Amino acid sequence: MTVNTLSRPPRGLSPLLLITVVAGVLLGTVHGAGAQWVTYPTPHTPRLANGKPNLAAPAPRLNGKPDLSGIWVRVEPPAPPDPNPIGPNLKDYMPAGAVIPLRPAAERLYRERSTKFGAGRPSQRCLPHSIPDAMLPGALIKFVQNPELTILLYEEFNHYRQIFTDGRPLPAVSQPAWFGYSVGKWEGDTFVVQTSGFNDESWLDDWGLPHTEAMRTIERFRRTDFGHMQMEVTIDDPEAYTKPWSAIVRFDLRPDTELIEDICDNETDSAHIEAK
Amino acid sequence: MRQRRAIALLGVGVLLVATRGLAHHSFAAEYDNQKMITLSGAVTKLVWRNPHAHLFIDVKDQSGTLINWDFELNGPNGLLRRGWTRESLKPGDQVTVNGYLARDGSHLVNAVAVTMGDGRKIFAGSSVDGNTTP
Repeated sequence: MTVNTLSRPPRGLSPLLLITVVAGVLLGTVHGAGAQWVTYPTPHTPRLANGKPNLAAPAPRLNGKPDLSGIWVRVEPPAPPDPNPIGPNLKDYMPAGAVIPLRPAAERLYRERSTKFGAGRPSQRCLPHSIPDAMLPGALIKFVQNPELTILLYEEFNHYRQIFTDGRPLPAVSQPAWFGYSVGKWEGDTFVVQTSGFNDESWLDDWGLPHTEAMRTIERFRRTDFGHMQMEVTIDDPEAYTKPWSAIVRFDLRPDTELIEDICDNETDSAHIEAK
Repeated sequence: MRQRRAIALLGVGVLLVATRGLAHHSFAAEYDNQKMITLSGAVTKLVWRNPHAHLFIDVKDQSGTLINWDFELNGPNGLLRRGWTRESLKPGDQVTVNGYLARDGSHLVNAVAVTMGDGRKIFAGSSVDGNTTP
């Protein structure tokens, strides 16, 4: 049966019931067969008696350390809904009243970008969000943790990061990168990731917080239980900011699903698409 | 030229998020949240690509001429997770779409709600970012 056939509604149902029925049928058809693995049981997931994932179970461990592996999505901060949204704002991930210590030139650039509603940001051209902005859109991120390497797969734009945990130091960099170069180590149960070697092209958020090639970031990840993780990111860029500053992003686990390829086509705007 | 029709959408209490800030370009930069428009017509094409699916509809203007309008939807991954596929609409399907007009005056709308002729909402549940997961 095709989705279209199943989506024909029976007569005589009230609109609201109709929507529920149609939605349920569509979801069942599209997802029930595990289409694209959108709903597919994740192996090694602790489960409750009813079969649902036990998100309060202890965090799994790998070689004596917490295992961050899994598919995660950021928890949206409790900002009021904006009828004229610009996009994720790193300020929303900081304590109320926190001041970001921008240097004057960086502040001018930030204001200019925000005033233009974030027009011209790199993701508009399918270019990376980078650190930390790639954590902020509500798209899935898969952590794959191995003893000597942790890989982050971002569903957004199909981007990835490698975080080396084999003891190597941060490299000398002659070719700055969008995502920089990352090494990680454990401090107790906290995974501490240091990154440097950034180019200066990304925005720290959709409102246009700038950074330079001098930026170094530290991300501290803690998986508090099976279903929850927290990251504190510290921005240390003495050329754009007067001192380091931090934001906290929380993550919820998304078990029993899978990433879907997301290749961003820069030409899909109305000027480029053939309409008919 | 814009058309405004007082189309009474069936009173389905389905809440659709009216805000469409998008991961790939800023909603506020491209669309005017003060200019909501409702248009009806026949689907000519459904482009199912990232970062945003696009629904094209022929709409009759006041002189009866067909104008092709471009309605920007959520990304295909976000739509898929909410149960929609590229088969969900076919050319020729009659729909009513409401959304926010592009700031540049072109025939481009950021779609908030797409409704079939029988009142069924389609592509519903779109959220702030192009491919957010529900």
